[in-house]
Amino acid sequence: MPLSEERIARWARQLLVPGLGEAAQERFAAARVRVVGAGGVAGAALAYLAEAGVGTIWIDDPENVAPADAGAWLYPPSAVGSPRVAAAQAALEGLSRFAAVDPYPTGGVPSAALVCAPSVAQALAAAEQSRRARIPHVVVEVDADGGGIVAVPPGAPCYACARSTDSAGRPPAPGAAAVGALAAGELLLLLAEPTRTEGRKIDVVRGVASARPTARLPGCACGAASAGP
Amino acid sequence: MTPAARIDVRPFACPLTYVKARIALDRLASGQVLEVWLAGGEPLENLPRSAAEDGHRVVSVEALGGEAPGAWRVLLEKGRGVEPCR
Repeated sequence: MPLSEERIARWARQLLVPGLGEAAQERFAAARVRVVGAGGVAGAALAYLAEAGVGTIWIDDPENVAPADAGAWLYPPSAVGSPRVAAAQAALEGLSRFAAVDPYPTGGVPSAALVCAPSVAQALAAAEQSRRARIPHVVVEVDADGGGIVAVPPGAPCYACARSTDSAGRPPAPGAAAVGALAAGELLLLLAEPTRTEGRKIDVVRGVASARPTARLPGCACGAASAGP
Repeated sequence: MTPAARIDVRPFACPLTYVKARIALDRLASGQVLEVWLAGGEPLENLPRSAAEDGHRVVSVEALGGEAPGAWRVLLEKGRGVEPCR
């Protein structure tokens, strides 16, 4: 279905970005993106997804807004102590009326995932769930120097193959938000180009980003299971 | 050269003029021609330049004259476009 005049006006400049366009914008509108973790890392990413035109955003986070989350783009100090999902819904509501923002529903079937989980174990679990569902997903990992972003289209080497194993520490909130926003952009590129099969990792070190293709670890289950779970 | 499609972007301001053209070009096959009617001034300065930057060929730019006074007709041949930013 062609984009309405209203949507063309809303995303006029985004429609001109090479690699995007009408078809990509329609895919954004049809997407159901599960965002795992809605802390400070996810704040700017959630805003980006909503403003880029993602139709449905499902937030998967049982925690409340912590003091450290306040000021990280999405949450005002007054939101501290309230559920992150409700606070994020309230914050995103005013950004785009084209985005439906809801808690991740039990049994929900997302078409893509952005993983901003607070721990490696949770990130691995969410990424594996996405891989088995064969949906494009992007995993964010932050550290004291910046962080990493692992993009996993269906069939590509999994997050466990590409994740960082030597990072430590947490970055200041602005750095985490920047890495999160970059990850959201990476997810949008995966949605825009559904035939893409190669994964990549972007390392952000003190504000400088470098990208490289991901490689499968020998013996990883994602290789044997590239045709299914 | 017979255009495969025609759009009239005279009611619109930049950047919507080229956004409309870009969407129309996206719907064409490589080598097909799009006819664009547009106003003079900024749209006439920007639209052909943006199309060329995106890898399309500006076939002709001509005043429409009596058909639509003050308006211009630009013929754009769809190219292969530019690579996505990665």
